[in-house]
Amino acid sequence: MTVPRPYALLAELTYRCPLHCPYCSNPVVLKSATAVTAELTTDEWRRVIREAAALGVLQIGFSGGEPLARRDLADLVHAAREANLYTNLITSGIGLDDDRMRALRDAGLDSVQLSFQSDDTDLADEIAGARAHERKLNAAAKIRAAGIPLSLNFVIHRRNIDRLPQMIGLAEMLRAERVELANAQFYGWAFLNRAALLPTREQVVSAREIATTAKARLAGKIDIFYVLPDYYESRPKPCLNGWGQRYLTVNPVGDVLPCPTASSAIPDLHFENVRARALDWIWRESESFNRFRGTEWMPEPCQSCPQKEIDFGGCRCQAALFTGNAANTDPVCTLSPNRAGVDAVLGDLNSSSDHACDWTCRMNPMKLPVSQ
Amino acid sequence: MQFIMRMLEIADAAKPRLARGVRLQIDSTTGKSVLLFAEGILELNETAQEILTRCDGRTVSEIVLALAEEYDADPMALAADVRETLIDLQRRKLIELA
Ligand SMILES: C[S@@+](CC[C@H](N)C(=O)[O-])C[C@H]1O[C@@H](n2cnc3c(N)ncnc32)[C@H](O)[C@@H]1O
Ligand code: SF4
Ligand code: SF4
Repeated sequence: MTVPRPYALLAELTYRCPLHCPYCSNPVVLKSATAVTAELTTDEWRRVIREAAALGVLQIGFSGGEPLARRDLADLVHAAREANLYTNLITSGIGLDDDRMRALRDAGLDSVQLSFQSDDTDLADEIAGARAHERKLNAAAKIRAAGIPLSLNFVIHRRNIDRLPQMIGLAEMLRAERVELANAQFYGWAFLNRAALLPTREQVVSAREIATTAKARLAGKIDIFYVLPDYYESRPKPCLNGWGQRYLTVNPVGDVLPCPTASSAIPDLHFENVRARALDWIWRESESFNRFRGTEWMPEPCQSCPQKEIDFGGCRCQAALFTGNAANTDPVCTLSPNRAGVDAVLGDLNSSSDHACDWTCRMNPMKLPVSQ
Repeated sequence: MQFIMRMLEIADAAKPRLARGVRLQIDSTTGKSVLLFAEGILELNETAQEILTRCDGRTVSEIVLALAEEYDADPMALAADVRETLIDLQRRKLIELA
């Protein structure tokens, strides 16, 4: 099999974060007690960035946790620019003061995705588990003033989905170039809190209409990118454009993952670490990147399905979370023998009117349990 | 529809330039030109590349003339191609017209 070249690296700089979003896709259990204390150093990240550029990567996203929790963020942006990468900061905005904004701009930061929990301060702060909303508005103003393209990212779930028009309004008010309305994907904390986060069918139908209308109204002004809630779909999302095809993630301790949620969702797959191996080898040769590359590994019904080059059998993490086997067809697909599992979750929610609404807030990673 | 068509007409005197947050660079893996922007990457065909490397403050007609000279081509025929490419890039918000 010819190995493709990667285009984008997601650099998860840290799991530390001052907020507590119940939908956070970060891991709920850490693989080792050192996942917080043994983060890659500045020099190690610099090397990862150079190796990624040599592999063909053209874009880097700095994420986490909260990337601003790393004091060396601007140095890493600078290193990425020196390697000719397009730099994208994916942030809650907490910690973005004038000095840091200036340092990031001077380092050559190309674009920012700023996340919001809602347009409404009280609801937003309740979801974030902290007084965050006002600070985010401040952060947006600083990003605007620095002249850096701004995208607002909203994670959509049952508690905020009815405010879609107002959230789009916030993006207009902040003069964002783009707004991403992403229905929560159920990994990490979101999987744990699924019963409280999953929107009802009625909500989903109306949200889709609102998003479509707003998209037309704001065409040419703001790009609206609406991510469907895949449980309500009949075909899975073309996850990552295929495993090990275009993207790679390096997590805070240097594990290299085909997708950011793979290490927690697929515990039986061993992931290589940049401290022990060259990135090039990991991308081309490692078992973790090759296991689900291409289409040969696919079981039925995917193997003989004409859609297999289009959706790649869906998401490996979702298959693992539902069926215990990452190689299975994504259970969102109605051709999957495991679709009943998804329907049961939807049925539970849509057949009754008293919905669970308690959720567990994302915890400080220092306090997380460790597996094994 | 009419209205949109009109909006996307490009004047000879317009000065196209890359939109904010868009970078033009060589992909060292393929040697080809690419546009990099927040939502993705666009690999450029030769026409687009030749046009974009000349979007440095020149007007559309100046770009057409420069290309016609370089390739010894008919400016009238070239103008249509240039316009088409610029309109497509503008629609994707990758260039702005100053
Ligand atoms: C994990 S966060 C890390 C960066 C930063 N702390 C933030 O929240 O913006 C990366 C991006 O994923 C989004 N996100 C987090 N959990 C998600 C989920 N379960 N489904 C979809 N998007 C999610 C966040 O809104 C953010 O835009
Ligand atoms: S999604 Fe929320 S909790 Fe998770 S890293 Fe981002 S800000 Fe922190
Ligand atoms: S059977 Fe597999 S390849 Fe076919 S649509 Fe379903 S997930 Fe996609």
